[in-house]
Amino acid sequence: MKTRITFIFLLMSVFTFAQNIISGKVLDQKGKPVAGANIYLDGTYDGASSSETGDFSFETTTAGNQTIVISFLLFETFTKEIDVTNFKDQTIKLKENVNALDAVVITAGTMESGEKARVSVLKPLDIVTTAGSAGNIIAALQTLPGTQSVGEDGRLFVRGGEASETQTFVDGIRVAQPYGATTNNLPTRSRFSPFLFSGIAFSTGGYSAEYGEALSSVLLLNTQDEPDHNKTDIGLMTVGLSLGNTQKWKKSSLSVNMAYINLAPYQAVIPQNVDWNSPYQSLGGELVYRYNFTNGIFKMYAAFDSERFDLNQKNINFENPVRTDLNNNNFYLNSSYKGNFGDGWQLTTGLSYGYSKNKVKYDINNLDNNENAAQLKLKLRKSFSNRFKLSFGTDYFITKFNENFDDNISIQASNGYNSNIAAFYTEGDIQFSKKLAAKVGFRLSYNSLLDETAIAPRASLAYKVSKSSQFSFAYGDFTQAPVVDYIKYSKYHQFESEKARHYILNYQFTQPGQTFRAEAYYKDYSNLVQYDTRDIQYNSVFNNNGSGYAKGLDLFWRDSNLYKNLEYWVSYSYIDSERQYKNFPTMATPSFVANHNLSVVTKYFITDWKSQIGFTNSFSTGRPYNDPNQTQFMNGKTKAYNSLSFNWAYLLTTQKIIYFSVSNILGTQNIFGYDYAKTPDAAGVYNRQAIVPTADRFFFVGFFWTISQNKNENQLRNL
Amino acid sequence: MRNFITAIALFIVAVSTAQTKFEQGMGKAFALWKEGKNTEASQLFERIASAEKSSWLPNYYVALVNTTASFAEKDKTKVNLMLTKAQEALDVEMIKDQSNSELYVLQALIYTAYVVADPMTNGMKYSAKVMEAYAKAKALDPKNPRAVFGEAEYQLGGAKWTGVDTKPLCVEVNKAIELFATFKPETEFSPKWGLERALEVQKTCK
Repeated sequence: MKTRITFIFLLMSVFTFAQNIISGKVLDQKGKPVAGANIYLDGTYDGASSSETGDFSFETTTAGNQTIVISFLLFETFTKEIDVTNFKDQTIKLKENVNALDAVVITAGTMESGEKARVSVLKPLDIVTTAGSAGNIIAALQTLPGTQSVGEDGRLFVRGGEASETQTFVDGIRVAQPYGATTNNLPTRSRFSPFLFSGIAFSTGGYSAEYGEALSSVLLLNTQDEPDHNKTDIGLMTVGLSLGNTQKWKKSSLSVNMAYINLAPYQAVIPQNVDWNSPYQSLGGELVYRYNFTNGIFKMYAAFDSERFDLNQKNINFENPVRTDLNNNNFYLNSSYKGNFGDGWQLTTGLSYGYSKNKVKYDINNLDNNENAAQLKLKLRKSFSNRFKLSFGTDYFITKFNENFDDNISIQASNGYNSNIAAFYTEGDIQFSKKLAAKVGFRLSYNSLLDETAIAPRASLAYKVSKSSQFSFAYGDFTQAPVVDYIKYSKYHQFESEKARHYILNYQFTQPGQTFRAEAYYKDYSNLVQYDTRDIQYNSVFNNNGSGYAKGLDLFWRDSNLYKNLEYWVSYSYIDSERQYKNFPTMATPSFVANHNLSVVTKYFITDWKSQIGFTNSFSTGRPYNDPNQTQFMNGKTKAYNSLSFNWAYLLTTQKIIYFSVSNILGTQNIFGYDYAKTPDAAGVYNRQAIVPTADRFFFVGFFWTISQNKNENQLRNL
Repeated sequence: MRNFITAIALFIVAVSTAQTKFEQGMGKAFALWKEGKNTEASQLFERIASAEKSSWLPNYYVALVNTTASFAEKDKTKVNLMLTKAQEALDVEMIKDQSNSELYVLQALIYTAYVVADPMTNGMKYSAKVMEAYAKAKALDPKNPRAVFGEAEYQLGGAKWTGVDTKPLCVEVNKAIELFATFKPETEFSPKWGLERALEVQKTCK
């Protein structure tokens, strides 16, 4: 009896555990063995890892048809229905996973920061910890290659382009008025506090067909999808106060940020080159609301700020300083929805509205203007496979501008325009292999004010030559309606869009802790606006016959391996650019272009002092200016510009930080250019006056305190 | 009678093989893990996961093996691959059950691994998420020693160079050690790690 039962057991086990051997070899597409792949029959325990030679072999007790699975992160998972009795010595080729981290990405023209970026040129914290940036996103970007530092303006000048040729987008939607108010030679700054943005992509050319109305550059800012947690931030500064609060609920969250800036104490301490009647003051607030749906996210961003200042500036054309009294109110609203639906579809839609109102008193003149600008946008993206994605979309820009000028003697003028631009674009992303990727698309737009249809093709290509280096190439046509200064005088369909064509060749080398980029570019401008008067005025004769070019080389090196706790980067740009536009009599280099720009940024963390110390040195060669005393146009050149800035963040406790920064420590007397008198003096000489910073140094001391449950959270990123 | 015995035998065989299969598999995977064969262990856990869809443990260990292995890995590309793998495995279980305290502890650990791999880039971004995951873990099971200890340890990590008061954090570590003493894992393979590390940290507290 016993033996019989044993026998039955034996028989049974023999029967049920009839062994089949599964064996084979795992190779990649080039026929190289793949070691360490996981091979198994789905739903069973039976499986093995591939050996160094790619071979595998295992036994299975299953019978009939089974699904074999071969998985390895770097490759697409392979599955196949097999007959277990008949799967021996099979060769399986795995397809490379083009989503894997080491796949090629198109990098021509674009420098990214933030969590989604594969290669971060700037890290999120850099905006605030770069000496000299003082939390201004634009100032931090000016340490990157391809930019010009134009101290008397403060805006972004990219590769020989005017500041207006760069457009700013928040969550994919344009910001009509990205900068604060400014007037004669007073630098402005970005309206956006770095605090609410988690990703920044800065493109110095050759960007996607998704973005239009920008000749030179786009700056893409993305608000955070998800805030950290409930917290309150308090900042006490020598220049004002700031207060922030974030509340987070199950599916939604709200962040509010307020700041009041008053430069009176600073202006009292540091000698000023201008005479302030009332100091620069601003009150601003930002708000972000997010709601998470199952398959998407809704975001609303709103910002308002109100700025004012009143000062007397020396002017070469007047005996006494001229008074400027400026009031600016700005409101911006942006709401967007991004979600997935169906099989591989993604929908992005949104709208923005911007309102800006300026009241300027200049000497005895009054200038009031206001702008209403809106954008509607819809974008669809279909992912056909890992290898091919198609996106297409449409957007609509509406701009309404009005200006009243009163010289309080005789002239009262009012100018304005309404502009509507409708655009459609489509673009395909093709990943041929892990080494080769391309993006091809075009943008079609119609501008009602100019009565003009434009088609702009864009294409880019990237090829990876080795594990750590790759080449990219980008080409694109770009169009942009002339700036408000011209088209406010537009009579029926008088102007045409200005045009630029970009060619960019990029080389990038990356390995952990190190990034090197080299980019050569050529930009061809055409259709630039010209006029025939000294200033732009209602009776100027305009035409669109201007042209120009910019060519150059940008180099960037970032390294954190050299010395422990030290990070540094070096940017160098060489540019050669000439234009015949505005009222230029000949081709000449515009005044905002310096041929050589060099920035060196260092950050060093000293653990024992609980401090981060940073230095930034910006150097550029002299910029051209026009001296009417000379016969040749734009023949003058200023002396070189140099500014060394320093900052120091001291962690009192994790949540309390003392921050100190000073710009231009050496007190270099920088000159941005010269203003010449409109008329010569008795001796027939045009007198001049140097354009200098409002003060040689800027200093800042602040105390920042974060109140939250997470004791490691602080405001270092806001500084 | 004979048939009856055979039937019972068959039944027992069926039941016992089903049980031992899981136990054997898990046992073997743990043995591989102990030997330091992380890839093999992770792959075996992955196979078990594909067969035992009703148990959250195999995927939990796929994630845990890869996360802990990433701490010792120097190659940042590999670290990323490991953590991607860990996150994918954890996501499978997280979708099925959002009230398992252990899963949140593991989520916090994955985020911590990202911070450790590149503090400059990931510190700010993930710190809050680490804390949030631990908070959830504690809310779901206030007596989970890994949640209590993990939260305290993460903060101690930051406190060491910022000079924040470590006393309340050390109190939490002590509390976690007490919880470890009374903690009873639900099954043979349920998570029970963490005490040794807690004792080590406790020493530095004094």
